[in-house]
Amino acid sequence: MREDLPVIVTEAVGDAAGRWDLAGEIPLDLLRGLGGKGLLCPEIATQFGGLGLTGRECGELTAHVGSLCSSLRSVMTSQGMGAWTIWRLGDRTQREHYLRRLTAGELAAVAFSEPDAGSDLSAMSTRIREDGDTLVVDGVKTWITASVYADLLVVFGRYGDGGAAVIVPATSPGVRRDPAQSPMGCRAAGHATVTLDAVRVPRTNLLGAAGQSLAMLTTIALTCGRLSVAWGCVGILRACLAAAAAHARDRRQFGVPIARHQLVARHLAELYVAERTATLACERASDCWDAGSPDQFTGAVLAKLVASRAAAQGAATAVQVLASAGAQDGHVVARAYRDAKLMEIIEGSNEVSQLILADRVMGVGG
Amino acid sequence: MPESTSEQLTIAMIEQRLLDFLVERTKIEWEVGQDLFESGVLSSLFAMELVVFVEKAFDVSIEREDLALANFRTVRAMTDLVLRLGKAADA
Ligand SMILES: Cc1cc2nc3c(=O)[nH]c(=O)nc-3n(C[C@H](O)[C@H](O)[C@H](O)COP(=O)(O)OP(=O)(O)OC[C@H]3O[C@@H](n4cnc5c(N)ncnc54)[C@H](O)[C@@H]3O)c2cc1C
Repeated sequence: MREDLPVIVTEAVGDAAGRWDLAGEIPLDLLRGLGGKGLLCPEIATQFGGLGLTGRECGELTAHVGSLCSSLRSVMTSQGMGAWTIWRLGDRTQREHYLRRLTAGELAAVAFSEPDAGSDLSAMSTRIREDGDTLVVDGVKTWITASVYADLLVVFGRYGDGGAAVIVPATSPGVRRDPAQSPMGCRAAGHATVTLDAVRVPRTNLLGAAGQSLAMLTTIALTCGRLSVAWGCVGILRACLAAAAAHARDRRQFGVPIARHQLVARHLAELYVAERTATLACERASDCWDAGSPDQFTGAVLAKLVASRAAAQGAATAVQVLASAGAQDGHVVARAYRDAKLMEIIEGSNEVSQLILADRVMGVGG
Repeated sequence: MPESTSEQLTIAMIEQRLLDFLVERTKIEWEVGQDLFESGVLSSLFAMELVVFVEKAFDVSIEREDLALANFRTVRAMTDLVLRLGKAADA
């Protein structure tokens, strides 16, 4: 990976992550600037204006972004998932047209979830139907990360007796975006409820074809999203480890640096174990992805489960070590604590991930 | 005439590789005409595993309308897909 890529992100974020968290917003210009350098979907091939990183390199960059700001990393996850969906399901013209836009500063969000379809995406009721040479989209999508900022919404829905995804320009008539009020974490990631009321788009915006399975299509997008969230959690853990170690060295109580108290030292060891374990699970999953191995799908679920649990626990540990020094919104460990918890919910909750892995264990015959 | 994968790979060979993968992953034996998804035990995640297995094992790209569950329901359907995509690549 080009050495300047993480540096560009570090400089763009500077010391602003805490302020973005408190304001609930990242400046749109900054997102467009990073997007225009291809940094928000770095796996996209150079022929489409992307950086052409491998999955493993993209993961390392994602972890770096996640160590600085989980809201920015969430925007990156949405952009990556949107671009990947277009690449995997689109035809040559769609790839050329839309991927170029997503590496030139336009932003994407991806919409599966609905009020009555969270873990159970088979309950999705958004409809995509044909009307002459246009498509009409009706539905309500909730908690759509980055949709406040997005130019393009990749919307999954029912199509005929199967499923499809459709690209909806966010400013199309009939699209309404209601920003989520005071989200608990990833506060500046631009979550919104997106209502689609008889939204008309050209037929050429359809990704996929008649007769496809909605579950297969969502698995394609979610596998990319799970890898990104998992690497983002590695970043959370790296930030927590650094903050806890620095504090344990500097803060003195009972006449010694608190790192010298064995119960604090154990916290540091646990954080290190969490960071290493999550990293190894992510590296393994990304290597499967890069190799085109069938194990990439359960590998991504495993990495996401391991890394999000490790991050939620690790962030709580880091807050414990910093105590009052970290007990303020906007502080790196306070953000980590709120952000990491939500990573145990999205892209397949812990429980849904466990069900998928249990399937894997059982095969069919048990 | 250029050598083509589809001519080298017989139907029997393709079927055998698919059956071997299935038995390894699901731990039971399958018939070539048996519906893999009918029982509801095999998931969409498994369908995607089949997609990338077929892509890698037979050096084909499965795109657009070919990414349909119907093409992965049976070993026979996957074999037909491999032969068709192999021919298209040679053309
Ligand atoms: C910060 C954030 C960002 C998000 N971004 C996006 C986005 O960009 N795009 C998008 O489409 N969606 C997004 N979502 C929505 C997210 O995907 C859903 O919240 C998630 O799928 C869980 O659905 P739910 O919240 O409706 O919970 P429910 O499905 O109602 O689950 C509630 C609880 O029940 C458990 N549960 C449910 N079914 C089972 C079962 N069969 N067995 C055991 N336990 C079960 C769950 O694990 C959970 O603990 C986001 C959510 C959050 C919080």
